[in-house]
Order: sequence, then C-alpha cells, then structure tokens
Amino acid sequence: MALLEVSDLRTYFKTREGEVHAVDGVSFNVEEGKVLGIVGESGCGKSVTSLSIMGLVQNPGRVVSGSVLFDGRELTTLTDRELEDVRGRSIAMIFQDPMTSLNPVLTIGTQITETLRRHMNLSSADAKKRAIELLEEVHIPDAARRLSDYPHRFSGGMRQRVMIAMAISCNPRLLIADEPTTALDVTVQAGVLDLLDELRIQHNMTMMMITHNMGVVAEVADDILVMYAGQVVEQAPAMDLFGRPEHPYTEALLASLPHLEGENVRNGRLVSIPGRPPDLLAPPEACRFAPRCKYAGLDDCNVVAPELREVRTGHWVRSAHPTSERTAVPVGAGAP
Amino acid sequence: MSEPAPSAASRNGEPLLAVTGLKKYFPIKEGLLIDRTVDYVRAVDDVSFEVRQGETLGLVGESGSGKSTTGYCVLRLLKPTAGSVRFDGEELTTMPRNALRRMRREMQIVFQDPYASLNPRMTIGDIVGEPLLVHKIGDRKRRRRTVEELLEVVGFNPDFVNRYPHEFSGGQRQRIGVARALALNPRLIVCDEPVSALDVSIQAQILNLLKDLQKAFGLAYLFIAHDLAVVREMSDKIAVMNHGKIVEMGSADEVYTNPRHEYTKALLASVPVPDPLKMRERKAERRKLKHVLAEAL
Amino acid sequence: MAATDQREAAFEAASSRRRDFEETLTRTAEARGTEAGAALGRASLWKDAYYRFIANKASVVASFAFVVLLAYVIFVPIFSRYDPYEVDFAQAYSPPSTEHFFGTDQFGRDLFLRTALGGRVSFAIGFAATFAIMFIGITYGAVSGFVGGRLDNGLMRFLDALYGLPYLPFAIITLAIFGTVNFWTMVVALTIASWFTTARVMRGQIITLKENDYVRAAYAVGAPRRRVLFRHLLVNTLGVIIVFVFLELPGVILGEAFLSFIGLGISPPKASWGTLAQEGYVEYQAHPYIIVIPSLMIAWLILSAFFIADGLRDALDPRMKET
Repeated sequence: MALLEVSDLRTYFKTREGEVHAVDGVSFNVEEGKVLGIVGESGCGKSVTSLSIMGLVQNPGRVVSGSVLFDGRELTTLTDRELEDVRGRSIAMIFQDPMTSLNPVLTIGTQITETLRRHMNLSSADAKKRAIELLEEVHIPDAARRLSDYPHRFSGGMRQRVMIAMAISCNPRLLIADEPTTALDVTVQAGVLDLLDELRIQHNMTMMMITHNMGVVAEVADDILVMYAGQVVEQAPAMDLFGRPEHPYTEALLASLPHLEGENVRNGRLVSIPGRPPDLLAPPEACRFAPRCKYAGLDDCNVVAPELREVRTGHWVRSAHPTSERTAVPVGAGAP
Repeated sequence: MSEPAPSAASRNGEPLLAVTGLKKYFPIKEGLLIDRTVDYVRAVDDVSFEVRQGETLGLVGESGSGKSTTGYCVLRLLKPTAGSVRFDGEELTTMPRNALRRMRREMQIVFQDPYASLNPRMTIGDIVGEPLLVHKIGDRKRRRRTVEELLEVVGFNPDFVNRYPHEFSGGQRQRIGVARALALNPRLIVCDEPVSALDVSIQAQILNLLKDLQKAFGLAYLFIAHDLAVVREMSDKIAVMNHGKIVEMGSADEVYTNPRHEYTKALLASVPVPDPLKMRERKAERRKLKHVLAEAL
Repeated sequence: MAATDQREAAFEAASSRRRDFEETLTRTAEARGTEAGAALGRASLWKDAYYRFIANKASVVASFAFVVLLAYVIFVPIFSRYDPYEVDFAQAYSPPSTEHFFGTDQFGRDLFLRTALGGRVSFAIGFAATFAIMFIGITYGAVSGFVGGRLDNGLMRFLDALYGLPYLPFAIITLAIFGTVNFWTMVVALTIASWFTTARVMRGQIITLKENDYVRAAYAVGAPRRRVLFRHLLVNTLGVIIVFVFLELPGVILGEAFLSFIGLGISPPKASWGTLAQEGYVEYQAHPYIIVIPSLMIAWLILSAFFIADGLRDALDPRMKET
C-alpha cells in the first residue's frame, strides 16, 4: 500500500495580476520504503507540492483542491494543531538552507532536545542522551561536546547534518527533503546523500527527494517524477526514466546537461531548450510544453491538453509524442 | 613555459595571460581599539597558470578554494599580495591606475549572479553602453548602434534597450552581462560561475553562446566554476583548486579520465551523474576516498 | 543603541520574510512570457513600490492626512479674512465657534489662522533641518563607506564619540552660543546633533551595495570611482533616503516644538506650534483648547509622517530586490 497518496492537488497563489497556478493537478503515490524523486526546474511547482503536502503553504498561497492521504489519513482537512503533530512525528522535512531552519541564538543541543521533549515526552536527561546519539548517527564528530555549540559554529554540511538529526529524532515514517544539498559543495553533497541513504535504510523511512539536479535524483531515487509548469509530465522508475526517457521535455533536459564522461563530451554545442515555461497566471488549455517542443506541430498539440497516460508498465507520460511512439510514426506523417 | 621578455618580437610564442606565483592573503584583524593583524587567510597561495589566445582554461574547485579570488586578482579587481600577472607581456600587478584602465579594454568579466551583476536603476542600453561611455568610444548615436549590435550578438532583443534588468529572466540577464563584457572587444574574458545560478535548459543556452562567441571572436576564457561537468564541457585545459592551491592541472581529458591527485579523484567521485547505473560504482569509489572526503566536512 | 539594534533585527527579519516570498513570485514571473528575449512585462521598480505602498492602508490614510495638513497650512493664511497680528481684546479667549474654528487667544487673534501660520514655521524649519541632516549624513556616510579603510575607521570612531551627545541639550547649548533664535539658528541647532543615524545607515547601505557584482563590473570596465559612487551606489540608496526624510521630519519638528515650548523658540509675534502650545500652557485650566489644538497638530503631523515612513520602507526597501 502506498504510504502517501496525492491526488489532483492544486495550489494557487493570489497575486496582483491574478492567480498563479503553481501546482495544477498533481497526483502521485509514494510506496512505503521507497524513494520518490521529484525533479524539475525552478518554478515548476516541485517545492510548492511538498509544502502543500505538509500544509505549510502560506498566504497568498492556498491549496485549492485535491487530497493528500498519508497512511490512509486525509491531511488537507486537518486542523493546524493536528497537522503540527503529524509534521513533528510522522512526516519530517529538511530544507535547502539549514541556516534559516536553525535558530541562531540557541545551541543545537537546546534545539534538538526541545523537539525531543515536545514530541517524545522525554525527560531532560534522556533527551540529552538521545541528542548525542542522534548527532553520532549523522556522523558529527565529538557529538557530546558540540551539543553546546551555536549553529554558526557549524559548516554548511554539518548544519544540514544537524537538521537531518532533528528530522529523524522522532522516527518519522516519511522524510521530505527539499533541495537538501543544493547549497553545498559537491564533496559535501555526496556525504549528505550517502548519509540520507544510510539512515533511510536503518530507520526504514520512506523518502521524497525534491531537487533540480538530475544527477541527485539518479543517485537516490527509486521512482522519479518530472514536473513542468505545475504538472507532472513524466513518472517512471529511475532506470527506465534515464534509460528511455519518453517525454520530449525530459529528453531535452537530459540532452542539455554537459557530461562528465563518455563519448559526447565537448562535442560541439549542447542541446538547449528554446524559450521559457508558460505563464502560470493563465496556463494554456493545451500541452504546456508545446511551444518549446520540437515535435509539436505534427499534431493538435497547441489545442488539446494531453493526459498523463501509461506507455508501458509503470512509465507514465503526458505528451502526444513520447519517444517510443515517435519511432513508430514517420516524422511528418502526423499522429494517428 | 619559461618567462620570455615582453618584447614585441617574442609575443607570438607567448601566452596571452601568464600568472606566476600569485598570492592573495586576507588579513584577520583583532583588537579593541587599534586593529592588529593576527593571521592571514591564504585565499590564493602560489598559483601559476597560463591561458593562450582563443583557449579556455577551466578553474574548478569548491567554495572557498580561492578560484574566484584568483579571477579577481587576474583582473586586478583585487590587488594581489604577491606574484605576477602578465597580460600580453605587460605586468598588471604593478601597473598604475590609468594604464590599468586602458588595459580593461582587453579583459572583461562575466559574473555568477545575473541579479546582482546588473545595476537595477540603469536601463539595459546604459548597462551595455557603459564600457563604451567610460572609454569615450564613438559618439552617442554610434554607441547606441553598437549596443544594439551587441545585444543582437548575444541573442537579446535590441528593442528592449530602454527596459530595466528586473523585467528579464535570469538567462536573459546573463546575456546582458555577456554583452557588456563584449562591448570593448576584449581578448580575455574571466567567466566567474556564469551559469551556476541558471536552470539547466537555460544553462545550455548560455554555454552555447559562450562557445559561439569564442569561435567568432577568438576569445580566451578563464572559466571558473564548481560544476565539473560544465567545466569539462567548456575547457581545453583544467586546473583543480583546493585551499588556495592548484592541486592538479592538465588537459581536460587527462584530468578527468586519469586524475592523479586524491582530491581530484574525490571530487570526480562526488559528482552525481544522471545515470543510476553508475551509482554503485561511484559509491564504492567514494568509500575508498573517505579520508579525503572526511576532510572536506 | 540596544533598541536600535532590536529594531534593525526586526526590520531585517521582516524584509527577509518578504524576500522569501518575493522569490517565489519572481520565479513564477520568470516563468512568464513565451519566447526568449521577450520582456517579462513586470511593472517598473517605482510602480512596484507604488503598488506595495497602496496595499498598506495605514500609510495611504496617513498620506492623505499629511496632504490635508499641508494644504491647511498653505491655504488658510491665503484665504483667511482675519489679520493674524491685530489685537482685539473684545474677542479675547473666545472658544471655538463657527466664527473662529479654533477660537481666539488672549489678544483676540484667530487661532485657526495662527495655527496655520505656526504650521508654516514648523514645517519650514522641519524641512530645512531634515534637508540639512540628509545632506550632512549622506555625504559623511557615503564618503566613509565608499573610501573605506583607515578613513572609514577614523570617521566612524569620531561618529561613535558624537553618538553619545544628547540631542536636545546639545540643541539648547547651540542656541545659547548663537545668542539669538531665528529660523537659521534653529535649523542649525536641530541639525547639529541629529545627522548621526543617517550617516551610519548611509555608510551601511554603501558598504552593502559595494559588494554587488555590478559595482565590480563597473570597475572592470574601467569606470572611474566618481562614476561608481554616483551612478552605481548613490542612486541605489534613493529609496532609503526617501524613507529617512519621513523618519527625520517628525523628530525635528517635535524637537523644534519642544524648544519653543520651553521658551527657546522663534520670538513672538511669529509663532510655531511649539510657541502656540506654550502660550496655551499658561491658561490651560481656563482655556484648554489653546494648548490642545497645536498639540494635536503636532501629533497629527508626527503620526502621519511615521506611518508614511513605515509604508515607504515596506515599499522601497531596496534590500528586497537587490540582494
């Protein structure tokens, strides 16, 4: 059974110019024990999706419709109080910038034990003991001593480790990581990703990894969701997605990445995607990628909005021209 | 490799930019009333490299490695503590301010953050035209035409010269920054993380633009970035920096396929690649290099 | 000092929150437009600021109140049928009525008119002193921040020393040294110990702005320092300067009123609001309206200026856009 079931989630932001459809009908499941990667460029709605799940969307944003079932429990209708409880215990979240999530005037020991005492009802001595254990678990050297340090005494990577320690302190079942390594150096990033993987297995956690980095999802995710302009455009197991990308956007995105190794390094120009994503104030009633898609125009792409459909087992795509169908149709002959 | 005399005759064989023994130390000050220097941060510590006409040297490293400081010292936006920077045979480190201003025509810079690199109170036309104005090149009308040409070159609609930077997206702003750098027809451009603030699809547009410009104008690039794949894509030669020092330098292929220094190896093993199949391999490699990575923490 | 720090911290927190939100908006705005090269069609910086200002109801009301007060001060003396200096003891101490909206004083002079004239004096002194404060503060702070190094160190140490000076006592001493109180000595007295904060904020602004890449870019293209200072740094502090005008103005006017109230004001028969209040003080039990009205005027001005400053700060704070 899926631990998290999101269906038809819509989150809009009211602005002076109108309503921005930041998340526009997103549905997906996260299976127990798996890692779901959500990948997309800035403004695609990936972060707002995770905030909507946690009930953390702030004014002028609003979850307009949709349901979020966590372990069979509907989250969208919970009161703030109930949500707070879910957030602390069952679902934990880590963000891009650990500095803004840590209170600069409290020692990290105080911050960790506070969480522990609130959610786990531990005595202060027990909480302290547990805090040391947690810091050791995230491989912070000399944990007992560092408990009395303030956040600014930690490097970026170390701060993120502290955040992770706090996130796992109440044994959550789901960990949502929103660009957890974006602000970090590559070598530090690798360490944090390895740590997350280790903890996930140890604690039997389900994970959602939100990132713009194709490499990061490839590294950690079992299943991948590609978002574009507030919608899911492709969903597939990681191997299948990277091996045989179906959506023209995913395909172009992968092709636009410079490669570290392999034959096509420095081989002339990179594939770039012309143009920009559509205006989410008034998203077109058509394929949202069509204006930038090199296969559009063979069809009524600019008129009909494609549905998310399964092109092969477990591989969903929202396009009239997925790769596997394109080879079957001679270019220029038009779609059947 | 040796240091030829800066005579006109020997110029053909000489690199466009030769940096030798470059050092930049920032003093750490302490004291209540009167500051006294207690120590130095060795941001750049004895760095040497050269860049030839039309060639790209990639300078790769993590934050705090001193790569950007190196770039600033090359352009003398910062005054180096020691060492020599020769551009086209002329020593820049000791050059007086007036002569330096003249040299600025030859070397330019493109910055990382397209939001901070354009003055929000200036129009696109004024921003791109500023180098021309400052060096008193052409009259008003002529400058205006040059600005439009430059914008055209970087793929930016010249109809928008009277607009302000905040009306444009990151990719477009970066194009404006490139246009400004090109205005004086430089021979060397220091690219300081030019695409790290951009989305992947836009990043490819800018990288392609830089490649095209290099081909078209025979530009030399000092390409500074933390993204190894991007540096690989752009560079002929690569220098890996760590803690203010170049730990490894060589042709791009050499450095990437057969890294010698442990730090380079660790760096390469840390980059997440968009290929789940390679994941296990890289993890094993990382475990082997644990001692180098642990230091980075 | 501690209070200033606290205020600044709260200020910082608020603008960082706004910035976070702005960021989400920028992203979606960035996602607009269909082809590369097309403008995003966002309003200009000033227009954006205008909309943010309009959204702040208190500031809009305050601006309206400020304009009404200004209009009262400017137009009433032009159209009034009374002579502000004519003594008519028959009319002395008549309470507010339809004939005399604000009543009359001990000499039977119309207070509706005299209050407007007093306002002119208060406003004139206020604006002149604010202008002087801005000029000195901006110059001092900009030079200090821009040049940096030893000069900055020296100038700031000097400022630290001055910071201890109490504002009003110092103004009183200044007036005492001059020996006479007229418009200009009043302006000098009010300015002399109140430009420190402006200078300090200005220096901070310049130092922050100096770190922007566009400043580096200007040096890289060979722009002379003068151009960098004026074209790249000072123009970008415009928002802060406007906010500071409205923050300084009420302080200065209150200072002037206080000095006048304790008898160090502009000499009669001319009067500022402070002088009027002082005249009313003598008779406050018998004729309370004489002191109440100018006091209310001062409060009106101060409150509206503060709310305008507050709204402007939200609307113009350049930190929202540029960092």
